[in-house]
Amino acid sequence: MRTPRGVKDFLPLDAEWKLALEQKIRSAFRRWGYHEVISPTFEYSDLFAQDSADPRQTYRFFDQNGDLLVLRSDLTTPIARMVATRLKDEAKPLRLSYIANVFRYDEVQVGFQREFYQAGVELFGSSSAAADAEVAALAVTIFNEVGASGFRLDLGHTGYIQGILSECRSETVRDQIWQLLRKKDLVGLKNTAAAADLPMPVKELLLHLPDFRGGEQLLEEAYASAPNELSRQAVANLQEIYGRLLAYGLGPQIEIDLSMAKTLGYYTGMVLEGYVPQVGFTLCSGGRYDLLGLRFDSHLPAVGFALGLERLMLVLELQGLRPQAQTGGILVLPLSWPHALEYAARKRAEGMRVEVDTEGRTETEALAYAQLRRFDRVVVVDAAGVHELPLGEEEGRPC
Amino acid sequence: MLRIAVAKGRLLDAFRALLEQTGCDCRAVAEASRKLVIDLEQAGLRFILAKPADVPTYVEYGAADLGVVGKDVLVECDRNVAELLDLKYGLCRLVVAVPQASGISKVQELDFNSRVASKYPRTAEAFFNSRGIQVEIIPLAGSIELGPMVGLSEAIVDITETGRTLAENGLVVIETIMESTARLIANRISLKTQREAIAALVSALERVI
Repeated sequence: MRTPRGVKDFLPLDAEWKLALEQKIRSAFRRWGYHEVISPTFEYSDLFAQDSADPRQTYRFFDQNGDLLVLRSDLTTPIARMVATRLKDEAKPLRLSYIANVFRYDEVQVGFQREFYQAGVELFGSSSAAADAEVAALAVTIFNEVGASGFRLDLGHTGYIQGILSECRSETVRDQIWQLLRKKDLVGLKNTAAAADLPMPVKELLLHLPDFRGGEQLLEEAYASAPNELSRQAVANLQEIYGRLLAYGLGPQIEIDLSMAKTLGYYTGMVLEGYVPQVGFTLCSGGRYDLLGLRFDSHLPAVGFALGLERLMLVLELQGLRPQAQTGGILVLPLSWPHALEYAARKRAEGMRVEVDTEGRTETEALAYAQLRRFDRVVVVDAAGVHELPLGEEEGRPC
Repeated sequence: MLRIAVAKGRLLDAFRALLEQTGCDCRAVAEASRKLVIDLEQAGLRFILAKPADVPTYVEYGAADLGVVGKDVLVECDRNVAELLDLKYGLCRLVVAVPQASGISKVQELDFNSRVASKYPRTAEAFFNSRGIQVEIIPLAGSIELGPMVGLSEAIVDITETGRTLAENGLVVIETIMESTARLIANRISLKTQREAIAALVSALERVI
């Protein structure tokens, strides 16, 4: 039996690992004051309009009324809907989190199947730099807590590039340059900028944008060289956010990348992207998106981020952190059922993994089975008590 | 060490020559003919020799930090990689060509009955779509000129440097879709994590292009 392209089974070992990771992430969300919500797996297709997903890249189908439905392709949009409607009267700011599967009818990419899992937070109702910094700090903290080594977070600002581009009169050229920056097509950028109707210093700035990476000093330089108020404000905003992240003690893991251009028209302020060295793909992504609420007649500013769980698992595996096969636990041979069940109940109450043999195995058979399934202990329980069977020095069992 | 994926053959030789000009000793790459991975310890470069169409894949997945590949292949593969530099060599054109005997002189004369053989099906389809011309694209892996000769297709979309191979097979160019040169591409994360090394290589190359 085949499975469709783009979906994947998690067998016991990986399922257990994934759940353990989710538990760690969930715990961090909770400890940072975020409340988990669960959105429906499918919604009306007009919810995920234009900006959040290319409609051709979603799974769509009709219900019996002829309404077009869509499998959720992200969680931010349904959560924005909840906030604008059912949570409208809640005190703000509102800190919400989620861990859920999403569906995208896309080419299968590294760590992104067509069904994949996302964990993330959304902070609604605050436009402060402190809120931006908190979301960025939480992203870093989560990767640190799950043990990914070398995690780095890049921060950029939509307003900075918008400011530079506002010097250009042609909207077509502005969009073109944005797309080139987004694709990191520096050859195209050079050619387009050279031909564009832009003041010379602005052209220079555009061409050097990809080199604008660094920390505090870079921000100072960028502030000084900003062509207008829009860019200057963006840099000042980043300076404030960066300052807060230093206060979180996360300075060494934060880098400023002013060339970061994400989805045009969606992000409105700080943007972020996380990665580890030696792994060629982004691990988490997010930013400020103050305009999404307008779709639901809500003017709430918002900031958030999402991480891909499969990508996280891939990175941890590359860093040698995938758990080894080890079932552990106790195999019980019930020579006396009442005593065996009483013993099993006691051990289970202690939180142990206990399997009571249901197949009437002999001691030899039980030992062989225990070895295959990697039990820590095998015990025989009869009316007289509990007897441990010696699990010999077995080969091929990871320590 | 920077890992750089390059296609064997024409582009590799020219890229090696360019590197030599920056003062980098690349003899090891010239001498090793069967090796797929070659380390230049001194220059801090590891060459990964791949098929042209695979170069963007190695780079996107981060198996290589950098890559050297024709713009034609880059457009066709549509991979999520950064394009750093036009290396200005390996100039060729991606063209639409038809048998001289067909009498066709413009792409508009092709219609929905026309079949177009190509190693660049994605680019070819996008081109014809942009012109509002409906044709059937037949993806082939090589020797595209064969298509019209054996009656597989009415036209082809292929790259040409001088047009000689096309002419030898009785084909004439009726439209140029794009011009292509070799490009230096980079993995988006390597661009962040190996910034200094990449910037140094880029500026060294810029000086000799």
